[in-house]
Amino acid sequence: MHTQTAILLAVALSFLGAAAPGPASAQGARTALVKQSDIIFIGTVTKVGAVAVPEVPASDRTVVVRVDQVLEKPAAVALSTGDSVTVLTERRGSPKPGTQATFYTTGWIFGRGVAVREVGHELGHSPVAVADQQETVVRARREVNDADLKAHIQKAAMVVAGRVEQVRPAELAAAPGRPKRITEHDADWQEAIIQVQDGLKGAQAGQQVVVRFPGSSDVAWVGTPRFAVGQEGTFLLHKDSTTGSPTTTIGGRPVPAYTALHKLDVLSKQDATRVRALIRKP
Amino acid sequence: MRTSLIAVAVALCVACEAPVPQAPPGKLAGVRVVDLIPVSLSGETWQDAEPFLALYVSNPQLLAASAFTPNPGGSTSATAPIFVSNDGGDSWTLRNTLPSQLQTADITHAVGGSPPVLYAGILKVPGFPLNELKTVDFFSPATMTLQASRADIDQPFVRATEVASADRVYVGLNDFDAPDGRTATVDISLNGGTTYTSRRIETRNTLGQNGPSIRPAVAQDRTVYVAYFGWRSQTGSDVTSDVVVVRDDSGASGATPFRDLLDPSDHLPGRLVATHVTIPWSNAPTLGQERIGSTLSIAVDALHSDNVYVAWADRVGTGDIYTVHVRRSTDRGATWSGDLRALTNATDASLAVSTNGTVGLLYQQVTGAGSASRWVTRLEQSKDGFATHQDVVLATVPATTPPFQFLPYIGDYNGLLTRGSQFLGIFSANNTPDSANFPQGVVYQRRVDFATHRLLDGSGAAVAVSIDPFFFSVPVLP
Repeated sequence: MHTQTAILLAVALSFLGAAAPGPASAQGARTALVKQSDIIFIGTVTKVGAVAVPEVPASDRTVVVRVDQVLEKPAAVALSTGDSVTVLTERRGSPKPGTQATFYTTGWIFGRGVAVREVGHELGHSPVAVADQQETVVRARREVNDADLKAHIQKAAMVVAGRVEQVRPAELAAAPGRPKRITEHDADWQEAIIQVQDGLKGAQAGQQVVVRFPGSSDVAWVGTPRFAVGQEGTFLLHKDSTTGSPTTTIGGRPVPAYTALHKLDVLSKQDATRVRALIRKP
Repeated sequence: MRTSLIAVAVALCVACEAPVPQAPPGKLAGVRVVDLIPVSLSGETWQDAEPFLALYVSNPQLLAASAFTPNPGGSTSATAPIFVSNDGGDSWTLRNTLPSQLQTADITHAVGGSPPVLYAGILKVPGFPLNELKTVDFFSPATMTLQASRADIDQPFVRATEVASADRVYVGLNDFDAPDGRTATVDISLNGGTTYTSRRIETRNTLGQNGPSIRPAVAQDRTVYVAYFGWRSQTGSDVTSDVVVVRDDSGASGATPFRDLLDPSDHLPGRLVATHVTIPWSNAPTLGQERIGSTLSIAVDALHSDNVYVAWADRVGTGDIYTVHVRRSTDRGATWSGDLRALTNATDASLAVSTNGTVGLLYQQVTGAGSASRWVTRLEQSKDGFATHQDVVLATVPATTPPFQFLPYIGDYNGLLTRGSQFLGIFSANNTPDSANFPQGVVYQRRVDFATHRLLDGSGAAVAVSIDPFFFSVPVLP
């Protein structure tokens, strides 16, 4: 399924140079490729059926590509203009030597060099207008990020801009007949009480909501958002289906408990404007 | 080259005594230390803690390794990586073949009888279910195959051996769904991971569970030992525990395995190697930014299964934070020595016994205090039950930098194995490229500048110091 989609997209994009699809559909296809990629570069094919790193066996799907311009890559990855990258192409019949294209890829093998799996490629007229291509990829990434955030907003039970007034240990109802476990992966659940300043979805200004988050430093919870007293932000809140105890109390009054465990669930206060726009966007 | 053979008194409580003066260990011929991070990930700054290693006896070129290393692709990645080497550990590549989002929450692995089969036990992200995995070729780009999965598991620890052309896989784990709070469990596969059977090994009452470390060790004659912590009671964060060893003489293939070693005190399966020790359970930076509470290792002489060693860490109570103890049995676990080694403020003890009977002890110890404190990683070897031993310092690095990103800081465990005339292992440490930090020398694959002690990214810009996994090999004492 994934492969078929990628092939169709690659085929669609390969016509960009011939201006077959309109700009909107081309950008849509490009956005789909960007969504699946973590290493994107403009490069020129130098060898077919070959590899640039000894760790990868050569096949009829491997090509060596000289990097002309890196458009996106993770910070940890060492990849620069002039490097040779081994690309596992999405299908046989890869571009001929000398062909320049924008390669949308994911990291495959990292050793003395980089080998990537192609998600798709976009043929370009040599020389590709680098600045133009950079701008289109940046725009596509922005669209991907907006789509991801909108999906998170739609899944959230409540979206608020507010301020953390209090942090306290969570008092979770123990599961019947089950003793508390002692494990280094224990979440050490905490509760943040947030004073809602702006209810963007499912809440009103002035309301207080309780958000559970892990206080543990364990590796299992690395990257999970944390809360501190005085913290202001835009929060995407989900009904607590993680701890097994869906309610808590504020001043002795039972209230639903929420979680915000994804990095997109905790945004800056300034992001409220963007979130509001995405909520309104059809 | 200078090899220091250091005589140490065999004392029941070395930690209580004044330190034995030791000559500073020198450089030993034939030692290799290799940073696993490849040059193509020179910008990497993650805390690559809790390393583990797997190797073949039949092919010294092939090795697999792991750590809490993330997929470089970022948080949306559906796979996590392992490191592989096809040149005996001189160079390593990273491949994203584990079915876990970005990284794992625990991982160990072991090779099968036929290269390059690899078995792995991971806690998968998200949700942290146990995944028991297999690949017939760990160089393959394909994601490892899921063979069994369930929730509520901690610290899967994989060992494997080949019997009559079939791989037997033993996964020690803490199974919170086990009845009666007797959670120490071994998942056993006698058919190359096709099916697993969970066997409970605790026969005594617990405080509601066992400790997280359940460690199998397998000899060539199919004797299987397992060490675990029998947690009996808890006061605050201190757990009172027994250190227990069970044994099975037929590869744990029967219906009621691990019943071959009884304790004379109660005639129950499971020899009590030490009783009522204090385990300081601290899930916060406690020892050189590291948490403590689960250090445990066991190793059997593969050719002479009568000989077995166990190491664990507890708090002795003489001002120590955490003390590693090593004991030995020469009669299949029936009787045990007192402490052959007692190492104050140390953790991550790993044992292995070479084919000539030499025992290796890898551990990581905090020395000094405050900003001058250091993590010192050592491999000790002994041919005489630690009456004398050779001490090799593999790394001595600052303990206060880099600041921890998460716990474990360097790992709840590391790895030590042996093959032929070599001990081979893996540990995690501060990766500052400073020759003074690696007395045996060190090879970096990633870009570094030793002159300025700087890590460099692909463009030559400085990269922040972090925790990296280091592979090593040390010649076995002849």
